[in-house]
Amino acid sequence: MSTFPLQIITPEKVFFEGNVQRVIIRTTEGDVGILAKHEKYVAAVPAGPLRITLEDGSERIAAVSGGAVKVSPEQTAVLANAAEWAEDIDVDWAKRSEADALRRKENSKTEQELERAEAKLRRAVNRLRVSSMNK
Amino acid sequence: MAASNMKAIKRRIKSVESTMQITKAMELVSSSKLRKAKERADQAVPFFNLLYQTMSEIASEAVGFHSAYTELRETGAALLVVMAGDRGLAGGFNINVFRRADARIKELEAQGREVILMTVGKKASEHFAKSGNRILGTFDNIGETVTTYTALAMAQHITGLFDQGHLALVEVFFTNMVSPLTQEARQMQVIPVPNLERNPGVQSLTNYEPSPEAVFDSLIPQYLAGVLYCTIVDTYASEQAARRMAMENATDNAQEMIDDLSLKYNRARQASITQELTEIVSGANAQE
Repeated sequence: MSTFPLQIITPEKVFFEGNVQRVIIRTTEGDVGILAKHEKYVAAVPAGPLRITLEDGSERIAAVSGGAVKVSPEQTAVLANAAEWAEDIDVDWAKRSEADALRRKENSKTEQELERAEAKLRRAVNRLRVSSMNK
Repeated sequence: MAASNMKAIKRRIKSVESTMQITKAMELVSSSKLRKAKERADQAVPFFNLLYQTMSEIASEAVGFHSAYTELRETGAALLVVMAGDRGLAGGFNINVFRRADARIKELEAQGREVILMTVGKKASEHFAKSGNRILGTFDNIGETVTTYTALAMAQHITGLFDQGHLALVEVFFTNMVSPLTQEARQMQVIPVPNLERNPGVQSLTNYEPSPEAVFDSLIPQYLAGVLYCTIVDTYASEQAARRMAMENATDNAQEMIDDLSLKYNRARQASITQELTEIVSGANAQE
């Protein structure tokens, strides 16, 4: 299968750079699979899972938290606030962060606090889900 | 008299030496912090460039593109995010950025806009606590530990207010590290998003989902968070660079002072020896 270069970039670092056969990413409109020679495409990405199939056919799963995906003939890039490989996810920490988010949601007084707590909750749940997908 | 003079000089040398030890240590600490901060600042660049490029493309390619974030509103306050250090002892680092921000506040208020502030760094919150402007938030001691989540929380707070129509303008005041030897206080307009090229004639072949506007608007918090993250890290790196330089100068000055005092000390020592010799010789002469 033909491959194409993919970059996953976060503000903290270039998270992944290399050739892949396929990317499956969750956009606001649903899961999208991207193969080589995909049309020009840009979509917003909420917190969700990202699967890539590497050149040797092996699959890796990562959790990304919000951003965008951009496909052009020159490059395919995923811009994310944060990204973690499923095997690197600290499940205990994610669970604690989920509990913390739930508590904050309960105690939130303003709409903004509620929104932030919900965003945090979505990220935590996404981490846990991605981590379990790896098994 | 000479002996007491010598003692006083010796004491001063000691005190200058201990000051020099401190400035030298601070210089070394700042250099190592600077190295780390610079790495972080460099790593943020590819993300931000690509994000900005994507947004420019949307604004320029999409037909009939329109977003609240690209046009200046008539009403609403101006939010200035001012970033400075958490500590002093860094030369003109803090003052320079305050001077810029103070001038801009005056200018905006003369135009009849309300000015709201958000401060990053203890020195900034101290400086603007006295200004009488409304302070939206203070973020002290975050330069070294700032994460994208901190920046995103700040960004969402800002976009939340913008969406409710409270804000018309967002500007960031930060210090850009041009090189480890020069830092420059800068101001940057963030909202309305500046410098987006527009060529409405070009039909885009890109498929935007769900729509160009929706993608653009959903990228705004990321963009704002990206700007905040980059500028916070840049300011922090500049603070360290400025402190390293200030401390290097202080160390050099201390060294110069010690050299000067040592010379004085040796002169006083020689004077006292000469005096003793004269006394002995004249005593011996008197006995003959």
